Formats: sequence, structure tokens, C-alpha cells
Amino acid sequence: MRKLPLVAIPLVLFVLLVVFLFQGLFSDPRALDSQATGKPLPTFELPDLMDPDITYTQSSFKGDVTILNVWGVWCVTCAVEMPYLTELRQQQGVRFVGLYFDQDLDPDFGTKTLSRVQQEVTNMLARFGNPYTYNIFDVYRDTSLDLGVTGAPEHFVIDHHGVIRLHHVGDINERVWNNKVGPVYRKLVAEMQQASAQAGEP
Amino acid sequence: MIVRQYGLLLLLLLSTAVMAAEDNFAFEDPSQRAAFLRLTEELRCPMCQNQNIADSDAMIAHDMRRKIYSLLQQGQSEEQIIDYMKARYGDFVHYQPPVNAATLWLWALPVIFAGVAVMVIVRRRRPELPEDMAAKLAKADEMLKREQE
Repeated sequence: MRKLPLVAIPLVLFVLLVVFLFQGLFSDPRALDSQATGKPLPTFELPDLMDPDITYTQSSFKGDVTILNVWGVWCVTCAVEMPYLTELRQQQGVRFVGLYFDQDLDPDFGTKTLSRVQQEVTNMLARFGNPYTYNIFDVYRDTSLDLGVTGAPEHFVIDHHGVIRLHHVGDINERVWNNKVGPVYRKLVAEMQQASAQAGEP
Repeated sequence: MIVRQYGLLLLLLLSTAVMAAEDNFAFEDPSQRAAFLRLTEELRCPMCQNQNIADSDAMIAHDMRRKIYSLLQQGQSEEQIIDYMKARYGDFVHYQPPVNAATLWLWALPVIFAGVAVMVIVRRRRPELPEDMAAKLAKADEMLKREQE
């Protein structure tokens, strides 16, 4: 009887290993911890995609809750989510701003003209719906790098102070909106309304 | 004839070196070039996850190489550039994991395992007969002797 605990050790180790490996079956190896969440937007100064005379900076995001959507016309998943994003904008008044970057446009050896990019974007938005209040053109893809973007589409939910509160990699569909992005967005809108009500009182 | 064939074979072997596409980055200082090569080998592509950014052809890897180059030109050290990438893509981006509470087990577990194994072996080396077992054996011997008589 005294030997029993010693015999149990391999069994316990085995069970622990099984639990550990079983969890691994459901974890996503591509999911990285976002470094951007909880931080203010990186500093940037970028032109509007459609009108390069307009310039945006990180402070353009203050005063409104925004979902910054990283996208491009070359991105298939972006085209898939676009109708749903447009629906969200029209029915719930969700504010989307696009951070557009191009794949073919080599910043140092540019082969594509700006007007061509604009034409492609106009065509795509006409076809799938336009969820964007405006689009920022990340010419050198520097701001994407600063945000820790690995591809498209990616979404950053930004509060009215210009702080990133949620980083979602991948598309937004109905399930993602209802379970992940939507609740955070609504909470931030409520926060903003509360803050403006308090500011109005005294 | 054979010499020519071997010559062709040799040329074929050498041609693989030409296949490895590289962006054109010009360095004035050879030590900066060495730093660039070391960094692109040590940093991991966040998109194609089991390649370093020297190997990867993903757009993000291109952008990271470009960034490393410009940071080197600005005079930043290798350490600074690694921290720069870590601040954006997390510890994941560096192939050398830092020692912290979560990763400590990578180093501790093999040591603990070896320690336990040594302990088990040492204990098994000296089989001590329990006292009552010795008595029982003595008794059994006696019984055997009696039977032989």
C-alpha cells in the first residue's frame, strides 16, 4: 500500500500532459498578443486617400469612438466583410475609418500611380458598399508597422481619447461583431456619452 | 568531355546562390551590413511564422527589412532595433525568447527531470531488506535445511 503514491506519479503526469496537449488542439497558433491594445495611437501624419491635400494625424481620432480598419483592394477577405461593415454603418451608425495600404506600390520604386489606386478603390467601394467615413493612405506602410499589423483585414477599436482599446485580427462578421467587437464599441460609446454629460453639467 | 560535364554540374550547384532574391540595400560600413544580416536572421516574420525575415517574401517581411535598414542608417544599435520590433510585434518576433515566469519552465523542466531521475537511480542502488523480511528469509532457510535432513 505504501508504494501507491509512487505509482500514481506517472499517471498524474500523463493526465497533465493530456490536458495540456488537448488545449493545444483548440488554440490558434497564429494568434499573437497585441502590443497595441491599451496604448494611444502612434504618431503619424498621412494624407487622405482620395484628396492628398487633407492630412490626418493621431489627434484626428480624438472626440469620437472609431473603428480603424486596415484594408486594401488586393485583400479578398476585406471584400467579403465590406457589405457587413456597410450595414453596420447604415443601421447602427458605427464609425469606420480606413487605413489603406497598397501591396504593389513599392514605396521606393513606385510602379503604380496614385490615380490608379484611387480608381481601384472607387470601383471596389461602388461594388461592395462604402463603410468608411474617410480613408487614410498609409503610403510607406510605416503606420501599419507601428500598429503591429501583419496583414489585412485588421481592426482597431479606438476610444474618444485616441487610445486603442481592442485589436482584432481578421474580418468582422456577425458572430465576431456580436461576441467581441460590438460590446467593446458600445461600451466605449457609452463611456464617451457619460464623459460629455459630466462635462456639460457644471 | 568529362571535365566539361563536371564543369556544368559545378555551375548548376553555384547557381542556387543566385536564386536567393534579396532587396538591394547598400551599406557603406561593412559592420552595418553584418548587423543587418544578423538581425534579419534573428527576427521572425509575424506572417509566415516559421521563417525569419531574411527568408520570407511576405510583404510584412519586406517592410521590416526596409525598416531595419533605415534604423541602421540612423545609427541605432542591434539591441535598439530588436526592442523596436518587440514593441510592435511582441516577444514572438525574436527567435531568442526572454526568461520570464512563463518561459522559465523551458530551462527548468529538463533540469528538474534530470534531478528527479538521478534521485530515483541513487535510491535504487542500495536495496535495504526490511527487518521482518530478513527474519522471514532466515526462517525459510531453516525450513529448507530441515527438509534436506
